[in-house]
Amino acid sequence: MDTKDVTINANDFEYSFSVGTKFGQLSASETLAETLRNRLGLTGSKEACNEGACGCCTVIINGNAVTSCMTLTVDCDEKNITTIEGLANPETGELDPLQQAFLDRYAFQCGYCTPGIIMASKALLDKNPTPTDTEIKEALSGNFCRCISQYHVIEAVSDIAKGVQK
Amino acid sequence: MDPKDYKYIGKNVQRKDAKDIVTGKAVFLDDFTLPKMIFGRSLKSPYPHAFIKEIDVEEARNLKGVHAVLTYKDVSQDYKMGWPPQKPILSQKMLYVGDTVALVAAETIEIANEAIDLIKVEYEILPFVLDGLEALKDGAPQLYEEFDHNIVTPGYPPFQKDGAFWHLEIGDLEQGFNECAFIAEDTVSFDKKPAPLAPEPPGAIARYDGDENYTVWATSQSGYILKIINSSVIPNSDLTVKTFNVGGSYGNKQSLTVPVMSAVLLSKVTDRPVRFFQTKVEQMTAYETRLGSQVKAKIGMDKDGIVRAVKADWTVDTGAFCNATQGQVGVGIGEAQLVMAKCKNWDLDTNIVVTNKQPAGIVRGYGGQELNSCLSLLIGRTMKAGNFDPVEVYKKNYVSDGDEYFWRDGRKWKAHSIDYTEAIEISAEKFKWTEKWKGWGTPTWTSEDGNIVRGVGCGIIGNADVGEDNTEAYVRVSPDLFGSKAHVIMQTNITESGMGQRSNLAKMVAEVMNVPYEQVQITDPDTMQNPTGFGLCGSRGTITYGRAVSNAAVDARRQLFELAEPYLEVPPEAMQLENYGVVTKSRPGKFVSWKQLIPPDLTITGYGKHTENFSTPNFFMVFLEVEVNKQTGQVKVVHMLGGTDAGQVIDPATLEMQCHGGIGSASLDTALFEEHIIDPATGRPLTYNMLEYKWRTFNEFPTFDTVMLSSQFDTFMFKALGVGEIAGAAAASATMQAISNAIGVEVAEYPATPNVIFKALGKM
Repeated sequence: MDTKDVTINANDFEYSFSVGTKFGQLSASETLAETLRNRLGLTGSKEACNEGACGCCTVIINGNAVTSCMTLTVDCDEKNITTIEGLANPETGELDPLQQAFLDRYAFQCGYCTPGIIMASKALLDKNPTPTDTEIKEALSGNFCRCISQYHVIEAVSDIAKGVQK
Repeated sequence: MDPKDYKYIGKNVQRKDAKDIVTGKAVFLDDFTLPKMIFGRSLKSPYPHAFIKEIDVEEARNLKGVHAVLTYKDVSQDYKMGWPPQKPILSQKMLYVGDTVALVAAETIEIANEAIDLIKVEYEILPFVLDGLEALKDGAPQLYEEFDHNIVTPGYPPFQKDGAFWHLEIGDLEQGFNECAFIAEDTVSFDKKPAPLAPEPPGAIARYDGDENYTVWATSQSGYILKIINSSVIPNSDLTVKTFNVGGSYGNKQSLTVPVMSAVLLSKVTDRPVRFFQTKVEQMTAYETRLGSQVKAKIGMDKDGIVRAVKADWTVDTGAFCNATQGQVGVGIGEAQLVMAKCKNWDLDTNIVVTNKQPAGIVRGYGGQELNSCLSLLIGRTMKAGNFDPVEVYKKNYVSDGDEYFWRDGRKWKAHSIDYTEAIEISAEKFKWTEKWKGWGTPTWTSEDGNIVRGVGCGIIGNADVGEDNTEAYVRVSPDLFGSKAHVIMQTNITESGMGQRSNLAKMVAEVMNVPYEQVQITDPDTMQNPTGFGLCGSRGTITYGRAVSNAAVDARRQLFELAEPYLEVPPEAMQLENYGVVTKSRPGKFVSWKQLIPPDLTITGYGKHTENFSTPNFFMVFLEVEVNKQTGQVKVVHMLGGTDAGQVIDPATLEMQCHGGIGSASLDTALFEEHIIDPATGRPLTYNMLEYKWRTFNEFPTFDTVMLSSQFDTFMFKALGVGEIAGAAAASATMQAISNAIGVEVAEYPATPNVIFKALGKM
């Protein structure tokens, strides 16, 4: 690790951290989930399993859905990160159509896993705007939802894929 | 009110917290912090049964940033968790892998973890017992001195105010069996203790407030249940419990005794707020699972398909620690009677036993599911012997208006107003049951090569707990300071853990007060600032809170009518609420606003309550079709239908999702692949994380239909009852029935993994 600083771009805002072991410095072992939640107050994505199995901490890094609990912040230097807080229009507050589809389809119950599911869906739709239901299910197979909102989630993502406007 | 006039009831309305959830703004406990908060962690036992011979915490205590290290030496051994009070918060004796050896509080989580590593322990390893029936035997390792043969002393005051209830003995068993043409007798086990596995791990923050008073912020779906269950641990203690949105519970995150009491102890010795979360691995290895059940039973059915006699011994394995298990057993006994409601002859005896496994406790299904998963297989055998269609048998036997049963309070109750015949018939029709049902042991479809077969099955369950526990609410009318509108504030203690009930109750108040749903607000969940409410556990919310808030709204309305009399000059019966005021049809144009009626800056407060009542059992029936590959032993559910009659449906979308929810939280899949596998040599769970433990992923869901009737049952103003809890409770037995029909050989071992299928087919 040569760099002394790490700069990440989270939701169109640039944050630079000094890397080291002193109080307040970003340690080399700090995960992106910890940085987002504990330093930046972006608590939308959740740290649930801390082993990359449940997808609750999913964010988008340079276009890819990534489990932030399995990503070191020092590996995110110069990368663009979008979290659930960065989806709505920052000026007007207008929701991303995908968020609106989740509202229209009642696509959550406890809502704890929802930010991760929305971000995984968003990354899929950005790459493939018209996924089939099978592709949607595959893309979300790393996201755990125990309330069983899967049926409604698939409807919501599928609405966007099919251009359905409610 | 006439259902035709409902503006919100029966329609999909966006949940009040919906936008916060999809934008990440919704707050869960892990997102919350307090000034000067420090972090608690625990050292956990690597052995299922052991004695701490020596423990050295000096180095851990001296680590910079450590505020406290506690062991059994530092804490009263009279601070006992569970009911009956049994397990010291910190003990010298370890009873399960993951049991608490020592507690640490430190400035950061990393320092706390480092301190944990510095604690040196020497254990004397003791023989352990992992099986409920083995634990009962003479000479089995004893977990607690006071529990002879590991049997938990009966009696659970919060639920059984007349005394202990654990044994249902009524009628004449011999006479009953004499009337039977078909009898099945066997021992069935449902004992793999699967994990309910809420996404959000269990956790709590405790703050010491002086004397023995504590404020606890917890991931509990019911702050009040947390308060009453944990108040018995430290003498004269009082807990004020606050919650946020809860990331899944399924009944499992209520009392949270171990994390809460750990945080409480650490907060007192450090006088700092202490945050104590379990990791996902700790949640899976040391937190509460489903109860284990072993049922030795004999069930008799007459020639008409009516169950006439039931003799059963139900051994309930509660793991190393018994908290609310006695309540669950009481409910289990009750639910069995609802399924076999015409049977007058019962001897259903129970033993709760402790074993050296992680604690087992409350999970959606609450004892009833565990017993149903066993007894239904034997009911199935009597049906098979009589060559009965299971739908017809369940229809004849299921509880209906006028049937009597004993509930978990030990008292006799009579079913009132409910009749589910139509719901059973419509569900069967939508599933195309008569078309698919080919008879016992006969597949509905076989592939050309004969390797792949399909079969159908069904299961039924119900719960009278929907009317449980006294509940109260205030509804306050607060005219806006400026302008002519008002806010209606629902003051009641409800945590949102996914069912949408905070919003559904706001719909009820909006109907009574005739205001837009958006104008109804709800107080934050808090046991001190709100009147009593047991939360939404056990589908109680619809009736208990529904009655409390609608009565409170009616009371507020009554007060407004009284105030309006001098203005409208008609009796209250002739008045109605409209546009934040009171009007009367008899004098069109006459209007007096709430703002005029209520003195400036004051509010009108209505009070409403519900008192416990077990007379309206709910109902849920599962139909499903499975496909079995006889060459690989793999089973998959291809189609499923959940049928219910919820009384007046409050919110169709959320009810539908509650029906879907029956697939999760260790319900349906306890018949297919969900289980905790414990290494018999070490007593350690091998399924300790979300990679090893099997759960259903997004791309493996069957097609799902629902039937949701909306009868007007005589429950409370809005004629509804809750059903969500039991949505998956009969799914496990239905799956076993479907598998058995598909392969033509009865399968009665949970879960039906490929090994079990091969064994049944004689291939192993």
